[in-house]
Amino acid sequence: MLDSFQNIVVSSFPNILEVEFKYINRKYLKVILINITFVYLSLLAAVFFLEYKNILGLEEVTFWLFLFITILFIYTIFIKIIGFKRRKFLVREKDISYKKGVFYKKITTVPFNRIQHVEIDQGPISRFFNLASLSVFTAGDSSDDLKVNGLLKDEAQQIKEYISNQIDG
Amino acid sequence: MVSKSSFSQFSKQSKKGIIIIYLDILYKIIKALWILVFVFIQNFSKTLDNNLSYIYFYLGFFFIFLLLIAFLKYHYFQFKIENNYFILKKGIIKKTNTSIPFDRIQNINFKQNIIQQIINVYEVNIETAGSSKAEISIKALSYEQANALKKTITINDKCNNYIWELDDDNKPNTINNPEIFIEQKPLLKISIMQLLKVSLTENHLKSLLLLLAILFGFYQQITELFNGFGEGELLDNYISENTTNFETNIVLIFILGLLFILVSVISSFVRVFLRHFNLTVYIKNNALEIYQGLTTKKSFILKKEKVQHITVSDNPIKRQLGISFITFKQALSGNVKKKQDKIIKLVGCGQDQVLAIKNLLFSNEKFENFTKNYSSYYFKVRLYLRSIIFLIIINSVLYFIFKYNFVFWINILLLPIFIISIELTFKKRFYLFTNDTLLIGSGTIETHKTYLPFYKVQNVKLKQTFFQSTQNIIDIVFQTASGKIVIPCIREDEAFKIYNYTLFMVENNKYSWM
Repeated sequence: MLDSFQNIVVSSFPNILEVEFKYINRKYLKVILINITFVYLSLLAAVFFLEYKNILGLEEVTFWLFLFITILFIYTIFIKIIGFKRRKFLVREKDISYKKGVFYKKITTVPFNRIQHVEIDQGPISRFFNLASLSVFTAGDSSDDLKVNGLLKDEAQQIKEYISNQIDG
Repeated sequence: MVSKSSFSQFSKQSKKGIIIIYLDILYKIIKALWILVFVFIQNFSKTLDNNLSYIYFYLGFFFIFLLLIAFLKYHYFQFKIENNYFILKKGIIKKTNTSIPFDRIQNINFKQNIIQQIINVYEVNIETAGSSKAEISIKALSYEQANALKKTITINDKCNNYIWELDDDNKPNTINNPEIFIEQKPLLKISIMQLLKVSLTENHLKSLLLLLAILFGFYQQITELFNGFGEGELLDNYISENTTNFETNIVLIFILGLLFILVSVISSFVRVFLRHFNLTVYIKNNALEIYQGLTTKKSFILKKEKVQHITVSDNPIKRQLGISFITFKQALSGNVKKKQDKIIKLVGCGQDQVLAIKNLLFSNEKFENFTKNYSSYYFKVRLYLRSIIFLIIINSVLYFIFKYNFVFWINILLLPIFIISIELTFKKRFYLFTNDTLLIGSGTIETHKTYLPFYKVQNVKLKQTFFQSTQNIIDIVFQTASGKIVIPCIREDEAFKIYNYTLFMVENNKYSWM
C-alpha cells in the first residue's frame, strides 16, 4: 500500500505558509471603525424611535436592548481591532492569497489561471481615504471567491493589471 | 466532412415548431396562473348568461393572439454557424443576438417531451458554462437538422479534443481498449427489471422530501390565494384544528407514517422510471453518449474534459445487488436555478461500467493501491456537538408546540439514530490522492466516493476555528466550477502539504479545466 503523501516531497513545492504575507493599509482600520459606528448609531436611533413612538410597547426592555447593542458594539470593535493585524494578503508569481480571522482563521488562494475576471470597487468612506477593494472571480458558484479590502487605490490598480496580464499571457 | 454549408445561412426551426412554441406559451401561462383559472372556473356558474358569450369571445381572441405571438416567435428565431461561432438572433420586440464560440459549448443535448415525440421533432439544448443568457434552447428541429447541427458543432470542436488526446499520449488511452472501441455496443443498457431494482433501492426518504417540496410549493400558492382574499385565517384555523387532533390520535400518526412510506416508495418508482427509462450509454471519442427518459426522452453528450468531478455512490442494499450510481458534475453557470440540469446521473451501473468510466476519465489510476487517510477524532466531536444542539432545538420546539412532557420520549427513538449516523459518517470519511486525482469518501447510509482531478480546482481554502487550532486541526475546502468539496478536520501539516501540492498542480498543468 502506498501513502498518498509519498507523492509530495514538501521541499520541492513552493510552500505558501513560509512566505511573508503583506499587511493591508492601516487606514482601512478607520474605515472599518467608521462603518461599525454608523451601524451602531442607526441601531440606537431605531431603538430611540421605537421607544418614543411606543410602537411595540417595549419600554421595560429598552434598557436591556440598549445595553445589548452597546456590548455588541464594543465586542465588534474589539474583535475588529485585534483581527486587523491578521488581515494579510500575498501576490505570488502565479496566485493571490488572503488570510484573516482571530477565532475563525481562513486562508484562500486563487491561482491566476483560474481567474475569470478582476474587479476593483470603492465605498464612499474608502474613497475618502483613497482605498479600494480588489475582488477576483473564478468559474462556477463565484459567491465565495477572494476579496482583499483596504488596498491603496494605486496598489489595487497595479495588482489588477498584473493579474490581467497573467491571464492573457 | 459534413456539409457545413447547411447552416451558413440563417435558418429557422421546423415549421412544426409553431405548435411547440404555442403550447409552451400556454403551459407557462397556466403554470403561472393556474390558481386564477381554478377560481375562474369555480365562479363560472355564478356569472350571468349574457356575460358568457363575451367571456368566450375574449378567450377566443386571447388564444388567437397567443398563436400570433407563437408564429412571430418562430419567425424571428433564426440561427446560423459562422467561423466556429454559433449565432442566434431572436425576439419580437426586444431583439437579442447571441454568439457562442464552439469551445465554450459544454454539450449539446436532445430532448423530446410527449408532444415533441408525437409530431416527431427534437428540442436541442446548447449548454455553456457561461452566463445563463448563453443557454440556448431550440424547441423544434427535425431529426436530420438536429443531427446535422450537432455534427457540425462537434466536428469543428474536434481539434480541441485532438490536442487533448495528444497531450495524454504517455498514458494508456482508453481508446486502445478494444471492448470500448466497438462503437455500437452500449457500455450500459438498463432493462426494466434492472430499473425496478434501482428504484426499489433508491433513497426513499429523498423521494419523499422531493414530493413534499412540490406539495409545499402548491400549499404556498394556495395560502397566497387565500391571503389575497383575506381568508388566510380560515385556512390556518382549519389546519390547526386538524393538528390538535393529531396529538390525541397516535393511531392516526402510525397510519400516516405507513402512508408516507408507501407514498415515498411510489414516488421513487415514478421518479426513476420517468427519468431513467431505457437508459443507454455509449462511449464514443472520449465522450459519453447518454439516452434516457420515458415521457421526455433526453440525450446528452458528456465530453470527458467538461466533467469537473464524479461521485460513485451506493447503499448497503445496492451493494448487495452489485449496482451503484454515478453522478457527473459539470461546470455551473451563474444561475443556480438550473443546477439540477447540469448534474447527470447514471443509475444501475455494475462494477465493470464504473471501472470503464473511471478509466475513461482518470486513465487507469490505481486508487486501490493507496492507503486511506482519515479525519481526526475532532470531526466526530464536532458532529456530536452539532447533533446535541439540534436535539435541544427539536425538544424545545416540540415542547412548545404540544406543551406535554410526553414528547421527550421521542429521544429514545432519536438518540440511537443520531449516534449510529454519526459513527457511520465518521467511519466513511476518508481521503487519498494519486499524482493527479483526489479521492474523497463520504456518506452516512449511502457511500459516496468523489473523484476530483487536481487541475479542475478553481481555488483552495483552509478554515480553522479556535477549537480546531488548539488541536492543530484544519478543514480544507476545494472550490470547483461545480461546487465545493470539503475534507473536514485533518492534521495541519497534512493539510498544508495538500494545499501547496494542489496549487502547484493547478498552476503548472497544461490541460484546460473545461
